[in-house]
Amino acid sequence: MFSYCKRCGSLMMALILTGAPLARAHHSFAVFFDTDSQLRKVTGVVKEFRFTNPHGVVTLVVVEGNREVIWRAETNSPSILRRHGWSPDSIHVGDKVTIEGWPARDGSKYLRMRSATRANGEPIGTPMTAVQEK
Amino acid sequence: MCRVERTLLPTIISIAVSLVGITGCTPRQQAAVQPPGNAAAAPHPDLSGFWNLDSKIPREESLMKRVAPNTAFLDDTGAKEFPKGEFGGLKLKPAALEATRTWNPHDQLTPEKACKAPSIVYAMQGPFPIEVFQSDRLIVIKLEYYDMVRMIFLDGRKAEESYPDSPTGFSAGHWEGDTLVVETTHLEPATITNNGLDHTGHVRVLERFKLGDDGKELLATQEFEDPEILDNRGVRFIAWRKQPGQHVFPYECDPGFAGNYSQGSDSPVESPGPAAAARRKTARSAQPRQ
Repeated sequence: MFSYCKRCGSLMMALILTGAPLARAHHSFAVFFDTDSQLRKVTGVVKEFRFTNPHGVVTLVVVEGNREVIWRAETNSPSILRRHGWSPDSIHVGDKVTIEGWPARDGSKYLRMRSATRANGEPIGTPMTAVQEK
Repeated sequence: MCRVERTLLPTIISIAVSLVGITGCTPRQQAAVQPPGNAAAAPHPDLSGFWNLDSKIPREESLMKRVAPNTAFLDDTGAKEFPKGEFGGLKLKPAALEATRTWNPHDQLTPEKACKAPSIVYAMQGPFPIEVFQSDRLIVIKLEYYDMVRMIFLDGRKAEESYPDSPTGFSAGHWEGDTLVVETTHLEPATITNNGLDHTGHVRVLERFKLGDDGKELLATQEFEDPEILDNRGVRFIAWRKQPGQHVFPYECDPGFAGNYSQGSDSPVESPGPAAAARRKTARSAQPRQ
């Protein structure tokens, strides 16, 4: 994801500076995330939990090998999550959680969250239906 | 239908108040949803209520057979999304096709765009609920998605010359039996399939809404045509299931979401040494005062 944005930064600035029309779109799930490959599970300690639309974001500190790295998991819309038992207090900084989700197509440490569980195995919220996972 | 409850959000309250102001009667007086001055006429179906998208509801053939010829059926309602380069049978004009080829999906991920609502062409089929408020002269559809509010005028008015383009446009509706027919113009350019294909400001949208037989399903087709970019037309079938007692939530989009993509997600965690502490202090001091 980092390398993506380094590449697109100049393009974005060019568009802004040239006044190119801002076509309106929510970012594409199908284009950004690989739904054909297997779901990925990541376990880590919550560094930040953002619960705002269009997507919440859980930032995790994850131990990989002998170093700690940052993973981010984008959630469904918090408006939808609220109907499935989520709230801004569902996750706190310092909690250990496991997030299962679709990996980013660019191979970066970025997921689209499908489900989340606490360290004791307790699910966070209730499962989504297929129609709500867009 | 128009009963204002204490728990309703201010936006919804203002909508209900607007309905009262426009129709000149109290919400309870509007509950029958019956044309004024025509007591013998059957009341129109009451579409009001909270509706959640349900893509398992089968296509309603009585609506589909009214779709105009040369129209591609887009099977991407709800969870589905077309990947890059697929447009569900829409025939793109060369310039539009070229635009999709040069489209950069990361261009969507800027603070300027993260909270820009799409038009109703994409928004209506999204996996978010809607709430309908109905009177004989005006129907309001509140979409949870991006807090969009659609006003569908049933009083025959036309858009004035200076009517601005917007994500919701100008909608005029009328009843054909049990079906609400809505034509919408004045839409801002926006995505059709969320993969690089955008309609222009000249797109025209035709929607038909009707209740399912049990009154618990809201069924709709949404046709669109934009000859500037398409050689054919498109249609989606969209269906919602009624969930009494619920209301749409505020969306209150946060453009800061776009920043997640520019932070870098694969960098090592900063060690808790003195240099890092100094950097954190500098970062804190740079924060604006609250």
